[in-house]
Amino acid sequence: MTFRTFLLGLAASFGIAWLSVVVVPFLKMRDLQPIVLKEDVDGKDGIYFPKRSGRVANGATVYAQNGCYLCHTQVVRPTYAGNDLFRADWGGLKDAGDRGDTRRETNAYDFQGEKFAQIGVTRQGPDLSNIGLRVENAYAKNVSPEAWLYAHLYNPRADVTRAKSNCPPYRFLFEEKKVLGNRSREALPFESPAGTEIVPSAEAKALVSYLLSLKKDDAPPASLNFAPVKKK
Amino acid sequence: MSQQTSNSPAQDALLRASIDRSLRHPVMFFFTSGAAWLAVSIVLGVIASAKVVSPNFLACSSWLNYGRVFPAHVNALVYGWGAQAAFGAIIWLMARLSRRACCAPGVILAAGHAWNLAVSLGVLGILSGHGTGMPWMEFPSFVWPALFLAYTAIVIWSLVQMRVRPGVSTYISQWFLAGATIWFPWVLLTAFALLHCLPGHPVMAAGINAWYKSALLLLFFAPVGMGTAYYLVPKVSGTPVQSYSLAKVGFWTLAVIAPWAGMQKLAGAPIPVWLPYVGAAATVLFALPAFAVAGNLLTTAFKAGSDTIAHSPTLRFTIAGLFGLVAFGLACVVLNLPESTLPLTQFTLSGYGFDLLGLYGFFTFVMFGAIYFIVPRVTLREWLSRRLITTHFILSVYGVGAIAFVALFGGLQQGIGQEQFSMPWENAADRAYPYAIATTIAWCFILFSNLFFFLHLTLMWLRLGRRSSHPTLLDGGHGGNPHGPEGDIDNAGPLHSH
Repeated sequence: MTFRTFLLGLAASFGIAWLSVVVVPFLKMRDLQPIVLKEDVDGKDGIYFPKRSGRVANGATVYAQNGCYLCHTQVVRPTYAGNDLFRADWGGLKDAGDRGDTRRETNAYDFQGEKFAQIGVTRQGPDLSNIGLRVENAYAKNVSPEAWLYAHLYNPRADVTRAKSNCPPYRFLFEEKKVLGNRSREALPFESPAGTEIVPSAEAKALVSYLLSLKKDDAPPASLNFAPVKKK
Repeated sequence: MSQQTSNSPAQDALLRASIDRSLRHPVMFFFTSGAAWLAVSIVLGVIASAKVVSPNFLACSSWLNYGRVFPAHVNALVYGWGAQAAFGAIIWLMARLSRRACCAPGVILAAGHAWNLAVSLGVLGILSGHGTGMPWMEFPSFVWPALFLAYTAIVIWSLVQMRVRPGVSTYISQWFLAGATIWFPWVLLTAFALLHCLPGHPVMAAGINAWYKSALLLLFFAPVGMGTAYYLVPKVSGTPVQSYSLAKVGFWTLAVIAPWAGMQKLAGAPIPVWLPYVGAAATVLFALPAFAVAGNLLTTAFKAGSDTIAHSPTLRFTIAGLFGLVAFGLACVVLNLPESTLPLTQFTLSGYGFDLLGLYGFFTFVMFGAIYFIVPRVTLREWLSRRLITTHFILSVYGVGAIAFVALFGGLQQGIGQEQFSMPWENAADRAYPYAIATTIAWCFILFSNLFFFLHLTLMWLRLGRRSSHPTLLDGGHGGNPHGPEGDIDNAGPLHSH
């Protein structure tokens, strides 16, 4: 076989797969259009193109730089690919008050504002697709959701019910500052030398804002809704 | 090999010596700096895996945070050790098989330094908190063009040598190595362009990243390991390849199957639903080339007799690597069956174990075999001690065995815990805990085993090896010689005649 035939063989065997699984899907998914809602099937008019609030881009950068994706995923798989949807608070909330059961699988609109979807590597910790919902509805009892997340990032094992967690502490995202006048509203309830307090840095604030933006339980349009039809 | 040549044996020996001399500095540079990166990576790996078990270990500094140490460990292993060991093997084997001395060792050496500088900046970038958050691509974005340019300057000469080789015949090793040298930049440029330059959909970006990671393992490290093994096994055992047509089948099944693999990591994520499943199917089918290559070479080696395997350090490591390839092929099947094991292994320890099985259990073992073969030829010195080699071998086998165990069983156990949705989430973490400890122990074994290797390689690099024409063999029956029996593996080039 000549060198040229060899190169042609390589180009063909690799090129077909390269076009089919990488280039064409990339181009087709590149520009995701809003979905037009129809009154008769979706129950309302307008478009489906969810917007997120919070410091999504900055927070996602902090999330990536500190390797959160190594232990936490951000995907709720459909039932053919896994049992994520059956957990009570992963795909949404089993009981979200008036809204009922809001659990659903992850859709392509859930990563608006992010450059790279942190699908994740392993699940040493739980899935974070709806961590914002969980913190607001279940974890933060007597404190604000932000304060709960700051304390959790500073020392994930401080709460006795989480003593076995193997989440690393992110103390370097916090600063020890001298108290001048009143204590900061965001000061953490952890010990520090006299006259000082522990406050979140700009990075911690961006990360927490991003984590609280993770609420992927909005009602999807009928064309994206694969949940079985509910009996009325 | 299969080369038809009209040269006399003396001319052949002169040619081989001139090839070895032309590549001495680049090859030794890649092997020694690769080994140094292996040391860095193993130390980081020990720290990272200890942190999984004991999260407050070294928690004082942001640089030693788990989320930074772990990617630094993996990237140092892939680009610091794996790629550089592959470069050393590629440039030497391609020159020997094309029967041409290298015409640009200075350029290769300079590009090798550039590659090392880029990898250093990348690892420091990750540790200082500038990682990109894309698995196996965590180096900051400015590093990638530098890696690509350095890579081109290193391997382009090998492709030129193959193009202008005397005679028409080629040997299967050249196919595997040339394939790897062409696939690698194609994959690297695609991932760099689509993840860093052109804006795309974030979930598809994650899919391309998963494809990149798989392609690096199956289309670069696997073929380099296979090509090198196809050279070493027949050469050292003195037996022609069992079935040359099976060797060709192995190459083309790899070329056709492997590019489709990778996206099974995104099963259930919102990308076109066939992509993850074609990825899973291709990964399962990767067992075909794996078994074809391993079966073909193992039969070749055992035909030569188990004495040869026991005596030759090169053959011992290469054969162990081929058993690693069999295990890797099995893992490809067992871990990726949709609707049965794929949901269990998708987000568990088994992914890491699988990567290590391919990268260490197969590729690195074959590279150790190649280093034990090539270094005496380019330095004109023999390895000092068979005991150092034996210790390196045995402890490496234990370490990799433990990692394979984690891959195949630990991941499945953890996955079963994850899928039991009626049980609390902590259940899955409890199931994974013993296997996390096993990983730490395995890394300690591997660190310990490589201390012997590093010491030995450093001595060879300092040209303190034995000046002898008799290779260092293991398990000698001739009690009198501390370096093992005198072998028939010819390393007595013309420079040894005086």
